[in-house]
Amino acid sequence: MIKILDQPRYVCALGAMQTVQGIYRGVPVLHAGPGCAGKLAAGIAGNNGDSGYISPQIYPCSNVTEKEIIFGGEERLAETIENALRVVDGDIFVVLSGCTAEIVGDDIAKVSSRFANMEKPVVYVETAGFKGNNLEGHEWVINAIIEQYLAKKPVKEKVKGLVNIWGPVPSYDPFWVGNIRELEKLLIEIGLTPNAIFGEYRGIENIDKIPQAEFNLLVSPWVGLKNVKLLEEKFQTPYLHYPTLPIGAFETGKFLRTVGKYAGVDVEVVEAVIERHEKEYYYHIERTSDVFLENRTMSRRFSTVTNATDALAISKFLVNDFGLVPEKQYITDDTPEEYRDSIEKYFTEFEYGIEAKVTFSKDAYRIHEEIRNCDYFGPPLIIGSIFEKKLTKELSGNFLAVSVPIKERLILHSSYVGYHGGLRLLEDIYTYVLKQFN
Amino acid sequence: MANKKIKQIAIYGKGGIGKSTTTSNISAALVKQGFKVMQFGCDPKSDSTNTLRGGKYIPTVLDTLREKTTVKASEVIHEGFGGVYCVEAGGPAPGVGCAGRGIITAVQLFKQQRVFEELDLDFVIYDVLGDVVCGGFAVPIREGIAEHVFTVSSADFMAVYAANNLFRGIHKYSNAGGALLGGVIANSINAPYAKEIIDDFVKQTKTQVVEYVPRSVTVTQSELQGKTTIEAAPNSEQAKIYTRLALKIAEHTESKVPEPLDVHELREWASKWADHLLALETGEVTSKASCI
Repeated sequence: MIKILDQPRYVCALGAMQTVQGIYRGVPVLHAGPGCAGKLAAGIAGNNGDSGYISPQIYPCSNVTEKEIIFGGEERLAETIENALRVVDGDIFVVLSGCTAEIVGDDIAKVSSRFANMEKPVVYVETAGFKGNNLEGHEWVINAIIEQYLAKKPVKEKVKGLVNIWGPVPSYDPFWVGNIRELEKLLIEIGLTPNAIFGEYRGIENIDKIPQAEFNLLVSPWVGLKNVKLLEEKFQTPYLHYPTLPIGAFETGKFLRTVGKYAGVDVEVVEAVIERHEKEYYYHIERTSDVFLENRTMSRRFSTVTNATDALAISKFLVNDFGLVPEKQYITDDTPEEYRDSIEKYFTEFEYGIEAKVTFSKDAYRIHEEIRNCDYFGPPLIIGSIFEKKLTKELSGNFLAVSVPIKERLILHSSYVGYHGGLRLLEDIYTYVLKQFN
Repeated sequence: MANKKIKQIAIYGKGGIGKSTTTSNISAALVKQGFKVMQFGCDPKSDSTNTLRGGKYIPTVLDTLREKTTVKASEVIHEGFGGVYCVEAGGPAPGVGCAGRGIITAVQLFKQQRVFEELDLDFVIYDVLGDVVCGGFAVPIREGIAEHVFTVSSADFMAVYAANNLFRGIHKYSNAGGALLGGVIANSINAPYAKEIIDDFVKQTKTQVVEYVPRSVTVTQSELQGKTTIEAAPNSEQAKIYTRLALKIAEHTESKVPEPLDVHELREWASKWADHLLALETGEVTSKASCI
């Protein structure tokens, strides 16, 4: 039976072009039809990545049309790569293929290999839309860089305390820059040296350091697992998988203790950092508790309608730090089947024996119907994307857009990660709650 | 020319079975009868119309499209024997691109430009690549292109298999206004058992044999001269057979939905015939047609 998918919140694998854009001076070179980049950017970049050093409107693209479909587009791609190398001042060029080019069998590996001896690295990724979603595409881009670029470089010594940070996905996570920076800061505070490849001025220099890291730190329920496993295989770098993006005091403390222990950091150093932050954190919570406890416009129950990373991170914060009660949590990122069981398990590990039910669904119609029929014992808190705005209004509930498509807010370097991130999330939630009085 | 009905026919069959030979002879025979005919080769090899043009290749629609962004249909129509309008869709080099899309593009280009009406044609005959490997090669049997499909098949199992596959395609499109099956052109039918096999196959699939065309050295001789049999040996027995076939096709009006065999039925059917032929060879049974 034909199903209509209502309001999906992910795009096809070619959307991983934004992962390349997230690498400072990284240049995506698309072998796809005209319009692919624009449409995908509108879906996941929006007002958070539509411009920059290079942007989706000006990515070099072979603009495959009927001629390339019939006769093959390999020469057109070669011409596009050649001219991109000539015209764009980039540090790494990543060729990404779209559906049509792959359906007609263009060999992008062969074409890209012609540029193997150029001054700037050229790697390729097969990101046809029918092969997977943008999150899988994100992993493929990183794996392509590992296999086709890093694995071919001379082996360098490991650097004590150097930690690669993986997890936040450029553009798709609207807070990606801020989130990575906060993770970096937390690591620095416990004496480690973070290495992240995304965001301002990191780029190829940090990519080159990846094999030297003492370990890889993956902060995500599933996106990036394939990358850290490949890094372990290629460079014998072990990895720490911490599934929850830490928001607020409870999770951030747990995060710092886990990372500190894994890295062999002195417990006293870690505890001192936690104590200092918690003092500040709880000062703010305490002085605002009247707002949190004495309002009649928000019940104690909430749902998230978002990707696995945000659903887990936000619900852990709202339950463990803030004592809210989770109704069903909806995961909308087309999570691959292989990870679903373990993700469901994470939602059974809240404090106080609290558990949340999880539904993996790509269809907003079904999700919204369920939310309409759920009793939240008052105005609910719905955290999701702009698609939940109307629904929340209909339920006289409270709403916050945190994941794509957001459209209604501008995010520069904000983040919900860490202690300050937790406070920021409370500000955003309760700003909406307070507006209900007006 | 106002409301004249153009008869559009598609000829399919396994590669190498004699589609282009048969199609070109049908086209040649029809123009000799005074009809206005276009033969449209739908094969990247682009050799469908060679014997209508003295063995010469003509520039294809897609070759022209490769060089220019727009193509006027008149630029790729070349007159052949007796005024047959010859067109070759053409396609990419082997191993690259999408030949199926090429066929779609070429056929659509002609349809959009209303070339058939302007040329006041009586017949358009599509000679389509052997294996219907993807949607592109099914274009001539889809809605609004050909009305009648004929398949060229010998008694060879692989040819019958290809014909049965084509029947499945016709069956699929039949509910959506696609072309229906006119029948089977039984080619290279010389051995008595060959006729029996084809007759049995059409009976099983609820269709008919339009004509039995024997293998003939006259055809080979004509093709070596770059000509159809109709042109090179107009008085030969073979030319008479092709003319008879062409007239039957010209007069044909009612095509039907075939009933293709499923894979298991087809295998069973083939295996039954294999046993029968083996028994014939070893002299165990006598064919009903052995006295012919």
